[in-house]
Amino acid sequence: MVKQMGFVFNIDLCIGCKACEIACRNENQTVSAVKWRKVSKLTDDTYLSISCNHCSSPECFRVCPENAFTKRGDGIVQINSNLCTGCGLCISACPFGVPQYDPELHKVSKCQMCYPRQDKGFLPACIEACSTGAIGMENLDNFCSREAVSTIPGFPDSRLTNPSIVFYPAKKRKRYFLN
Amino acid sequence: MEIYRNACPRNCFASCSMLSYVNNGEIIKVSGDPKHGFNQGRLCAKGYAFTQYVYNPYRLKYPIMQSPRGSGNWKRITWDKAYSIIIDKILELNVRYGSNLACGYNKFSGNLGLLHYAVEGMFNSFGPHTKPVGNPCLISGEQAIKSSFGQTVSLMPEKMVDANLIVIWGANPAVTNVHQMKFIFKARQKGAKLVVIDPIFTQTAAKADIYIQVNPGTDGLLAHAIAKILIDSSLYDQEFIDNQTTNWIEYRQYVSTEVNITEVSQETGVSIEGINELAHLYSLSKPCATWIGFGIQRNKNGRENISAINTLAALAGTLQKGKGGVYYAHNGLEDFPANLLNHQGPKHSNINTSREININKFAEEAIKLSEPPLKFLWIASRNPLSQDHDFKKWELLFHELELIVTVDLFMTRTAELSDIVLPATTHFEDPDLIISYWHQWLSYNEQAIPAYFESKSDLQIARDLTKKLNECSPNFSNFPHELEPIDWIEREITPSIKELYSLKSYKQLLDGPHLRNEEKHSEGSSSMNFHFVIPNKIASSSEASTNVIEDQDSNPFKLITPQSLLRIHSQYGTLSWLSSEKDEAIVELSEYAAEKYWISEGEKVEVYNQNGRIAATAKINRYLPKKVILVNQVGKNPINQVIVHEENSNIGKSSANFYDSSVNIRKWRD
Ligand code: SF4
Ligand code: SF4
Ligand code: SF4
Repeated sequence: MVKQMGFVFNIDLCIGCKACEIACRNENQTVSAVKWRKVSKLTDDTYLSISCNHCSSPECFRVCPENAFTKRGDGIVQINSNLCTGCGLCISACPFGVPQYDPELHKVSKCQMCYPRQDKGFLPACIEACSTGAIGMENLDNFCSREAVSTIPGFPDSRLTNPSIVFYPAKKRKRYFLN
Repeated sequence: MEIYRNACPRNCFASCSMLSYVNNGEIIKVSGDPKHGFNQGRLCAKGYAFTQYVYNPYRLKYPIMQSPRGSGNWKRITWDKAYSIIIDKILELNVRYGSNLACGYNKFSGNLGLLHYAVEGMFNSFGPHTKPVGNPCLISGEQAIKSSFGQTVSLMPEKMVDANLIVIWGANPAVTNVHQMKFIFKARQKGAKLVVIDPIFTQTAAKADIYIQVNPGTDGLLAHAIAKILIDSSLYDQEFIDNQTTNWIEYRQYVSTEVNITEVSQETGVSIEGINELAHLYSLSKPCATWIGFGIQRNKNGRENISAINTLAALAGTLQKGKGGVYYAHNGLEDFPANLLNHQGPKHSNINTSREININKFAEEAIKLSEPPLKFLWIASRNPLSQDHDFKKWELLFHELELIVTVDLFMTRTAELSDIVLPATTHFEDPDLIISYWHQWLSYNEQAIPAYFESKSDLQIARDLTKKLNECSPNFSNFPHELEPIDWIEREITPSIKELYSLKSYKQLLDGPHLRNEEKHSEGSSSMNFHFVIPNKIASSSEASTNVIEDQDSNPFKLITPQSLLRIHSQYGTLSWLSSEKDEAIVELSEYAAEKYWISEGEKVEVYNQNGRIAATAKINRYLPKKVILVNQVGKNPINQVIVHEENSNIGKSSANFYDSSVNIRKWRD
C-alpha cells in the first residue's frame, strides 16, 4: 500500500527539552557533528523539533548524482550510504538543512524515520522519547484535522518539496510582566 | 544482547528507571523503563546521553596522584598505593591527636543511590570524626512545610493530572523535571489552567496559560495579598478554618492590618489586575495543585515565603480532600533504615560523638576547627570547588589540609586541587537502590557492565579501605567489609518496606519499580492541624522593588543561577552530544542593564563583587527584571566564586541562600 508517513508536531506541547534530539543519537549513535534531529527555539516561547521531513517531492533525491536516495512505499526517504560519495549536493538542495555530513566517514547521513524500528513495530526513537507527546506520526495521505496547519512562521518555505510534516500551532497565552 | 534494569542516580526529581542494552559487555543504548509510572518509558536528554557518559574520553580510569597539589603533575598509582597513603595518614593523625577528629568528609548529592551512603558508613566505622550536617538544598522548605502542617506532606505527583488549576511557584519543570510536564499538559487537555509565578520568564512560564512575573524573594507577599482578597470577599474555606486550624483569628488580624494590596503590587511588581486574577482562580478552581519550587528557598525570605504559599493553599480550601494540595517534595528516605548512613561506629574512650559542621558553611567552619584541626578531607559525590560558595574559605581550608582525596568520574575543579583522585563507577557498573525526592517509586539498579577500567563504587572503596586499614591496625574500623552490595540492599528491604512497597523480596524489583502504597496527605486527614505562620514584618525586599539602578548602587544586580537543561550543576560538562551548551559562563541581563552599561549581545563581560569575579558572555534577555542577572552553572569557571552564603540568624538551619548575592557587571578588561 502506498502511503506517506509524516510527523505531526504540536507547538504547544514542545518544551524544548531535547529528549528527542538525544534519543535519536542514542538510537543511532551518530557522531557529534551529525544531528539527525534538531531542537531549536522558534520564538521567545516556542520550540521546533525537526528531522528529515520525508518530503513528497524530495530535492535531495532529485539532485543526488549517485541516486543514493530512495522513497519507500510508506513515504520514508532513505539514503543508501554505500552509494553516497559525500559530494554534498543534497545538503545544499534540502530547504531544511537536513542531510548531515559525517566528517569521519566522508558521507552524508540523515534521519531514516527509524524504519528499522518501524519495521519491527516500534515508534521512531524521537517519538517514543517525547514525554509530552509533542511529536507524533501519521499517514498524511489520510490525516485530516481542523486545527492542523501545513506550515508555521519560522519554518522554511515548503512549497518546493512538500514536506511530510503538519503542525498544531500555539495558542495565545496571558502574561503579567513586571510593572 | 542483554537488557538490564537501571535507575538514574542523579540529583533530579525524576529518578528514572531505565533499561540498558548490552552487547559484549558494552552498553549500546539506553531507554526509559515503561514499567516506571512516573517516567513512563522515557528519559530526559541527559539520560539518553548515558552511553557517552560511560564511555567518555575524559572519564578517569585509574587512581592518580599529583605533587605538589594543584600542579597538574599527575601520576598513575595503584589502588594499593592509594590505600596505603590514605591509611598512613589516618593512622598517623590518630596517633598525633588521639582521635579521628582530624579526619572528615564532604559529600552530598552527586549520586543519590542508597549504597553511596557507604562514605558516611565508612567514616562512622572509624568512631568519632568530623562530618557535615544539614542540607544545602531542601531544609528551609521542609521546615516551612512542617511549621504549617505539623508534618511533612507528600502527594503523588502523577495526581496533578486531576487538578483544575495548577499554580507553580518558582519551579521550572520544563528544564528540571520534564516528566512532570506530561501530567500538567494532560490536566490542561481536560480544561485545567496552568499558572506560573516566577521572576524569570522560564521555559515553563512560556507554556503557562497565565504567567505572573514577580520580583525575586517577594512570593510570600503576593500569597498574603491573594489570601487577603479571599478573606475580604469571604471566598475561603470556612469549614476547614473552623475545624483544622490553630490561629485563624491572629492571621486574619495580620492580613487586615499589615497587608495592603497596593503596596504589595508595588513591591512584588505584579499588577492589581494580576493579583485579582490569581485570587479569582484560587477561589474558583478545585482541585487546585499548588507546587512550591525549590527556587523559592534559595534566599533569606525562603522559609517565610513558603509558609505564605501554604497559607494561601489552606485558605483557598485546596487542602480539603479531593480539592488539591501542596506539592513540594517527598522524603522517601525516611522510610528506610539507611543502614550505611546510620552505621554505628566503635566508641572512643573520651569522645562521645563526631564533630559536626554545617554543610552550608563547611569551609568556613572547618578552618576554625582546632584541637584537633581538620587535616584529612575525603570528598565524594560532590564538587564543592564549583558548586559550593565562599571559595576563599575553601582555598584557606585546602591550604591547611595535609591530604585531600576526591572520588569522582571526571577531573572536576575539586579533583584538580586534590592530592589523590580515585575513579568512580557509573550506576551501570554497580547495583543500587534508588528512591526519589519527588515521586514515590522505588527502583532497583542492576549491574549491567563490569567496572570501567579500575573504577570502583563508593561502597567498594569503603570495603577495600577498611579491610586494609584493619590489617594495619586491627579493629580500627568496624565496617562490615565482607558484606556484598546485595547484602546491603537486602537489609534495606525490611518487613515494613516490603509492606509499604508491596514486595516479597528485592528481587521483584528486577521486574520493575514498585510504588509506595501510602500517601502522606495534607488533605482531609483529620489529625492535621494547620498553623498560620505570621511573618514578623512583611518580608520586604525594597531593593528589588525600585526598578532603576542608581549610580551609588555598588552591586545593583540580584544574581540568580538556575539549573541548565543539559547539566545537573557541574555534571555532564564533557559530553559532546550535550555540548550545544558549551561549558562556558553566560550572563543574561535585561535590555535596560545592557543599555546602561553599554553591553552588547555576545560581548565578554565581567561579573564581580567583593568575593571575586568571573568572565562571562553577555546575552540580552528582554524579559528579565531590570535588576536581576542570570548566570548558568558551569564546572570550571563557576559563578559560585562570587557567592557567599549568609545564614538567616533567627530561623536556625536553612538551605544555602544561593540567590541572595548581589553583583555588578562591566565590560571585560584584560
Ligand atoms: S522531546 Fe518533545 S518536548 Fe522535548 S524537545 Fe523534543 S519534541 Fe519538544
Ligand atoms: S527534508 Fe530534505 S533531506 Fe528530507 S526528504 Fe526533504 S529534501 Fe530530502
Ligand atoms: S525518526 Fe529516528 S532517525 Fe529520525 S529523527 Fe527520529 S529518532 Fe532520529
